[in-house]
Amino acid sequence: MDGLTEVFNIGTCRAASSLSEIVGDEVKLTVPRLQLVNSADLTLDTLSLGSARLGSVKQQFSGPFDAQAMLLFTEERALEIVHDMMGSQVSIEDIAEFEQEAMCELGNIVLNACLSAMADIFGVELDSTLPQYTVDTSEAILQQILSDTDQPVLMVLHMNLSIEKRHTQGYLAFLLSTSSLQKLLAHIDRFISGI
Amino acid sequence: MGLILIDADGRVALWNQWIAKRSGISTETALNQSLDALFSSGLSASFKTALGNSLSYKLPIVLSNALHHAPLPLYPLPLTPEPRTRLHQSITLTPLMGHNEAHFCLIQVTDTSMFIKREKVLKLQSDQFSLDATTDSLTGAYNRRSFDERLQAEFRHAQRVKSPLSLLMLDIDYFKNYNDTYGHPAGDQVLISVVNTIKSQLHRPSDIVTRYGGEEFAVILPDCGIEGSLSVAKTLLQAINTLNIPHSQSEIADHVTISIGASTLDAAAKTNTDQLLKSADAALYQAKNAGRNRAQHLLIQTCVI
Repeated sequence: MDGLTEVFNIGTCRAASSLSEIVGDEVKLTVPRLQLVNSADLTLDTLSLGSARLGSVKQQFSGPFDAQAMLLFTEERALEIVHDMMGSQVSIEDIAEFEQEAMCELGNIVLNACLSAMADIFGVELDSTLPQYTVDTSEAILQQILSDTDQPVLMVLHMNLSIEKRHTQGYLAFLLSTSSLQKLLAHIDRFISGI
Repeated sequence: MGLILIDADGRVALWNQWIAKRSGISTETALNQSLDALFSSGLSASFKTALGNSLSYKLPIVLSNALHHAPLPLYPLPLTPEPRTRLHQSITLTPLMGHNEAHFCLIQVTDTSMFIKREKVLKLQSDQFSLDATTDSLTGAYNRRSFDERLQAEFRHAQRVKSPLSLLMLDIDYFKNYNDTYGHPAGDQVLISVVNTIKSQLHRPSDIVTRYGGEEFAVILPDCGIEGSLSVAKTLLQAINTLNIPHSQSEIADHVTISIGASTLDAAAKTNTDQLLKSADAALYQAKNAGRNRAQHLLIQTCVI
């Protein structure tokens, strides 16, 4: 588990530097907690997302191990973050039209950074589908996660995102479900023993 | 849609007509060149990072219009001489595998100008709708509906921070006589003048002027006690007198005057907005009975709720 946290720390560092470049302001992204959850036990509480509406960005990765990665955030928070990233004077309501695309990009950056960090460290190559963005009620999103995954165990990463100067704080839940958890763990073992 | 294909060495392998037209760079010129060399006028740093990542990690990347606006120097058609404004773009970078495992990155560019234009039109309309829904179209003061909302909001705020809250109810004296004598269009002008005068005398942005009924207006004065509300009332009386709008059928003056009822919510008092409103109304009634063109203040009877 520590090995994985390390991998994701590297990933989030990269994501943060990409985001900082776009925002022109320091963006910090940290992984305070990594958790393995039985999909049967997955609730909004385990995800620490207590909101009526959630946004999600999903990408399907394939390679030596297959993985479905998904980033979840509360809609309001997401809008605030995007708003700050855009750095303009537009109010939150003004950007509804752009929100979808911008959130999709934000999710894409975080997902790619984490998965490419994995690929680098494990010395493998991964392919991915284009990111898919959805906003829906939290029940519908949760239902979708459960029906999408036929895996008994999910990996949940709790992430905190903050934009230094603007005092914006956001929380993101990163979900990884993989049919090849054993293969992934084998890669981690190899990585750790290789250090 | 614009399509550019970049090979693993960062050179252009495909440059479609859409891109050629909007960049002013022909396909012949572009092929086998790097984007940096072609777009000397500048690729954004975040675009370069994204392209680099896409080529090295072979992962798809989206660049949204909201966060990047216009990463590539592409311009609306027909191309005009410099200086010109870049086209709004949404970009997708997709890694592709060619023959012999050669890697490519496909850059797809969509023109989002139309979306942005549509968004602006919708925004303007929604602004107009919300203005219509909250203001009185004749005087531009807030309407009765927003009065109810604002009073509730200010009331809750006053209770939370334990600050006083005052309410003024204003009525134009003998307004019916004015309308009967001078006609409704002239009456409308008086309503507009009164609102503008009230607004011009209130200097705090938090003070709220609303048209409560026909010729009745309400002014919400947050963080303002008895003394303050009376002083504002006197200023308003004076200002309306100074307007000196002739009113031959007024029984108390030769010009348009107003009467004001004021009430104040004491920070410590347990009360509600209804009480505040009733007291201000009763005070207005007293001001009318006492001869009009004057202000009267009533303290709210403290009641237990």
